[in-house]
Amino acid sequence: MKRVLVIGAGLTGLFAAAMAARRGAEVTLVTDGRGGLELSHGCIDLLTPPLSPETFGHLLPAHPYRRAGLERIREAMDLFREFLTEQGLTYFGSLEHNLALPSAAGGIRDTGLAPLAQATGALADAGTFHLASLAHFRDFSAAFAAQRLRQRGLPVGGVVELALPNLPPGRDLYATDLARLFDDREWREETIRSWRSPLTGIQRLGVPAVLGLTGAEAARTSAEEQLGVRLFEIPTLPPSVPGLRLERALRRTAQAAGAHLIEGAHATGLVEAASIGRVTGVVYVSAGGPRPQRAEAVILATGGALHGGLVFRSHGAVQESVFDLPVEHASERGGWTAESLFASQPYSRFGVIIGDDFRPVGPDGQPLFENLFAAGGLLGGCDRTAEGSRQGIDLVSAYCAVEEALT
Amino acid sequence: MSQPALTADLCLKCNICTAACPVAAATDLFLGPKAVGPQAQRYRHPSLPLPDRSLAWCSGCGTCSRVCPHGVAVAEINIQAKARLAHETGIPLRDQFISRPDLLGRLGTPLAPLANLALGLAPVRWMMQRVLRIHREAPMPAFRTRTFRSLQRGHLLPRPQPDPGIGVVRVAYFHGCGTNYYEPELGGMALEVLERLGCEVSVPPQGCCGLPLQSNGLLDGARAYACANIRALAPFARAGYPIVGTSTSCTLSLKHDYRTILGLDGADADVLAENTYDFFEFLTLRLDDRLAALSLHELPARALYHPPCQLKAHAVGTPALAVLRRIPGLIIELSDSECCGVAGTYGLKEEKYTVARRVGSGLFDQAADGRYDFLISDSETCRWWMAGHTGLPVLHPLEVLARALA
Repeated sequence: MKRVLVIGAGLTGLFAAAMAARRGAEVTLVTDGRGGLELSHGCIDLLTPPLSPETFGHLLPAHPYRRAGLERIREAMDLFREFLTEQGLTYFGSLEHNLALPSAAGGIRDTGLAPLAQATGALADAGTFHLASLAHFRDFSAAFAAQRLRQRGLPVGGVVELALPNLPPGRDLYATDLARLFDDREWREETIRSWRSPLTGIQRLGVPAVLGLTGAEAARTSAEEQLGVRLFEIPTLPPSVPGLRLERALRRTAQAAGAHLIEGAHATGLVEAASIGRVTGVVYVSAGGPRPQRAEAVILATGGALHGGLVFRSHGAVQESVFDLPVEHASERGGWTAESLFASQPYSRFGVIIGDDFRPVGPDGQPLFENLFAAGGLLGGCDRTAEGSRQGIDLVSAYCAVEEALT
Repeated sequence: MSQPALTADLCLKCNICTAACPVAAATDLFLGPKAVGPQAQRYRHPSLPLPDRSLAWCSGCGTCSRVCPHGVAVAEINIQAKARLAHETGIPLRDQFISRPDLLGRLGTPLAPLANLALGLAPVRWMMQRVLRIHREAPMPAFRTRTFRSLQRGHLLPRPQPDPGIGVVRVAYFHGCGTNYYEPELGGMALEVLERLGCEVSVPPQGCCGLPLQSNGLLDGARAYACANIRALAPFARAGYPIVGTSTSCTLSLKHDYRTILGLDGADADVLAENTYDFFEFLTLRLDDRLAALSLHELPARALYHPPCQLKAHAVGTPALAVLRRIPGLIIELSDSECCGVAGTYGLKEEKYTVARRVGSGLFDQAADGRYDFLISDSETCRWWMAGHTGLPVLHPLEVLARALA
């Protein structure tokens, strides 16, 4: 059994850990806090416009998709869907066609794969739809979203406000509070019953994404049956329920396959100097002090600037946070940002450059360590925001890094 | 990091802690760790009254600090603020009482048969709820007639001894109050297993770790215990004895809370923290080769393992799981729940009991599906609580290992 160490527990790290453990590796996952999935809409943005030989050809040669190749992109998506289906979350979509989904702010969001609960809201689907606010839930306004969607020419039939009976009086509701209530079958059925009359005549209805945390798909399907209305979810502000469902499903997959999760542990560097071009593991900080974690292969999935994988210094340096790997970046701070806020930002392309085998390379293009692989938000050569490729890059690079690490 | 309050500025308000908080999930009386922690911290001035009372619902499980991706010491901020709140609102007699397990033990041990009989009587528990506001349904452990220390006098050592030589690993065992007064056989197993692995085990002088006092806002009392333990144990740590404990919350106090929450810095506190290990952490880190050389008997059973919050706060993962998974025939599944709810003394309190029970309800449901022969957990208060609410035996992972080694 090969000993694999994954650093980071975002979409990339969890997927890598789950996949490596399923393929028989002895996996340890070290993470400093939980990853960004709890802030995410839970969809997999692949590329906008979608992947085709033409759009693929336009990507930079160092782009993780180019390193992976179209076949491995497809394999990564298939494996992801397989894992999630096992956990009761169906992901809908394809590489070739994006889904256009309404956002909580009334925008239109293109994505590659979406959980069925969101995919039902695809704007290409025929017919009008209604939007619903939930009483006392301040993180979603149907009227606001509807107004902006109508301005974009979308057929919003109308808005309704739905009551939530037997709501405990107390603090402001988080999306997670409502999701937990919807997990309670009795509460859910009573609530849905009270929605019957206000929803008469409505065929398709968008609601904030709060319909259950643990048994979400069953909750939504049974509500649809009870109401005779097609329900779809729109993700709201963090904590984001669709992101949490995805996070939990992947964590469970990884742990059930035997991955050892070490949470709250900040990785600080190598166990010992890698004089022969190999890493032997990492040191992480535990409550009592530094601890070594040895491994035969290491997959670095610490994320970009927001998640701590890359550190932007005030004097213009951009550093990789665990191994101090070289990071491709503009060394003058003036070169970090574009003139316009809405243009593609140079800083989003900064990152660690990898070779075809997903090992970080130096300026000469040669791998730095034979058993160190990198995946996810810290990779350079791509602009996730401008390309609409954030989660796609996470999954594809995790897939390839694990494949390479296990060969 | 002796000033947790300063880390409040690192908070991005992402709410990852709120989503993970087991108490916020169980009651809307608690605003959640972000709101009462880094957010409210800006309004806490030493000379002004505290702005927020919902903080009292925090159980101190520490989940928030562990899941925070930006280094905010959310739990530490909250535990310190909660102590201030407790002083402002007054600390009930009950909290003074349940936070001193060593005192209770010293009183209860000589009267064990009588005390246990009384605690088993519904009218007594009813009276305890009326007078002390200790919930009458909260599970409680039974006193024992002999303490661990009285049973293991031969191992007691007042000061470090000269190095015994090559091959022998010297270990100082920290038993904690749970083992000393309620589960002395667990301490016996610790000595036995360590000795089988070639260790020379000493039991240095030690007192309560102070965690129950700390959790109840009695920080000065906790500091007094902490200082005594640092004074007694630092010489052992310095002489090359790793301090190994079977109570994961006690070892966390020695490693982390003394310095970070109680603010005790200095070379002695550091040497103790850096040389303290939870039992299975020590096994996997220092004795793994020796352990691998021992043969483990088959143990055909299915168990559910619930790693306590206080173990997870060590940031060493779940080393016991890695060891127990090597036992042939034993199938171990992992708990899906963040916390069992009791959080030391929290679940005993009349006003907190229902919330604590709701926190653990996911775990109790998972345990109740009839598939498990027993449950496993590293912390005594979690074990007593889980056993009381599931009716299943709950073992320390060491008890499972000892069975496989027997």
